[in-house]
Amino acid sequence: MADLRINLAGIESPNPFWLASAPPTNSGYQVQRAFEAGWGGAVWKTLGDPILNVTSRFAGISFNGQRVAGFNNIELITDRPLDVNLKEIYETKKKFPNHAVIASLMVEPQQEKWHEIVKRVEDVGVDGLELNFGCPHGMAERGMGSASGQVPALVERQTYWVKEVAKTPVIVKLTPNITDITATAEAAANGGADAISMINTINSLMGVDLDTWNPIPHVAGKGAHGGYCGPAVKPIALNMVADCARHPQINIPISGIGGISNWRDAVEFMLMGATGVQVCTAAMHHGFRIVEDMIEGLNHYLDSKGIVSVSEIIGKSVPKYSDWGDLDLNYNIAARINTDVCINCNKCYIACEDTSHQCIERLTDSTGKSYLKVREEDCVGCNLCSIVCPVDGAIDMIELPRELPPMTWNERQAVLNAAACKVDISK
Amino acid sequence: MSEHLQFLAQREQIDILIGKGYRIQSVKEHLNGATVEFFDAEGNQQETLLVGNANARKYLSSLLVKQNQLST
Repeated sequence: MADLRINLAGIESPNPFWLASAPPTNSGYQVQRAFEAGWGGAVWKTLGDPILNVTSRFAGISFNGQRVAGFNNIELITDRPLDVNLKEIYETKKKFPNHAVIASLMVEPQQEKWHEIVKRVEDVGVDGLELNFGCPHGMAERGMGSASGQVPALVERQTYWVKEVAKTPVIVKLTPNITDITATAEAAANGGADAISMINTINSLMGVDLDTWNPIPHVAGKGAHGGYCGPAVKPIALNMVADCARHPQINIPISGIGGISNWRDAVEFMLMGATGVQVCTAAMHHGFRIVEDMIEGLNHYLDSKGIVSVSEIIGKSVPKYSDWGDLDLNYNIAARINTDVCINCNKCYIACEDTSHQCIERLTDSTGKSYLKVREEDCVGCNLCSIVCPVDGAIDMIELPRELPPMTWNERQAVLNAAACKVDISK
Repeated sequence: MSEHLQFLAQREQIDILIGKGYRIQSVKEHLNGATVEFFDAEGNQQETLLVGNANARKYLSSLLVKQNQLST
């Protein structure tokens, strides 16, 4: 059994699986049940001036039979009095001293407001703070959440105000609703953040009812944009985590959030630089006990790799994540169809013929049986055929023998420039 | 003509010149690909090729990298 303990900017937890600040962490009852199920930490549902919520609040997207492939909410931060939350945080921490309890905070961008709430939540023994600069709906219209999180100067200033009084580690939670998340991540670091977490939810409208023409979800026939999360957002979140992890000016730990549904997702985020992960939608879909599979799967994975501590995998794939200009132009792969596995459904043929490079041929063998074959010399190795193929193992992407030495676009351009070659854009 | 056959044809044109001792003198990139000027070893003879095929332009670039490495 590997050591699953993590230390994120001084916040220790028995495993890397935290519940994200959201409906699952609304109360002490829930967080304590989550800890009993095995979660290593919980970020309490965001504290601030208690709000008023609407009904309904959530919407889910099913895709080809998969329920909750994407999830959207228009719920705001806590609607319960601060004192009630603080009492429950105190009780939870007392009952689970070795689990990480982090208070998510959101107040108006005023120094005294931040100072007040930081002091009050730290008095009840939280292990850390997470500043909610990411919530995209409702609170943003009041100048908080992502409205703050989209302005690097506001992120830096508010982080600095918190750090003026905070005695526990400060995590800054970032919004993905911005062109370049490294700009706000760097601002958080400049403000003194001990860590960053990402991503909060993505601006979204889940759909429109074709009968009533109401937005989904709707409140008495009206809708407003919500925050999108769940498995569908994982690639977006993973890219943002990786971009921050490889950024030379961002040298603080990352708590990864965004569509993490199982131990495999967690490993991917950690390989791309996250010290730990936060989960919400998967817990809302399947309940707190999914963490049992996450812990067991992670343990087996680490054991199979001979890794004794989960911390060893943090950031191991970051050096492999680069810019397009640093990729090898002379590396070639091609599709190869395994005719003994292929069911001749022609999905690959249609995809290639209609939308890619027309390099799959429909042939007939000597017995009259039809089969598919890739003309490797015309295959650009795009992967499309293997992506659309419904049968595992029917199409392999084969690495072709190297004909030319490695050469990146950047190397090519450097040589062209060195040779004083001209780029003529006039034609 | 397939993309691959285009590549083979353009690579052959390049290889013929390289085989005759020509060196890449300049590459002018534009919307139709690259116009490449070759000079023979003495610098007397000039040949110009339009290289439009993507793989041929990769090939040409690799030759230029190699030529640059040999000359430095």
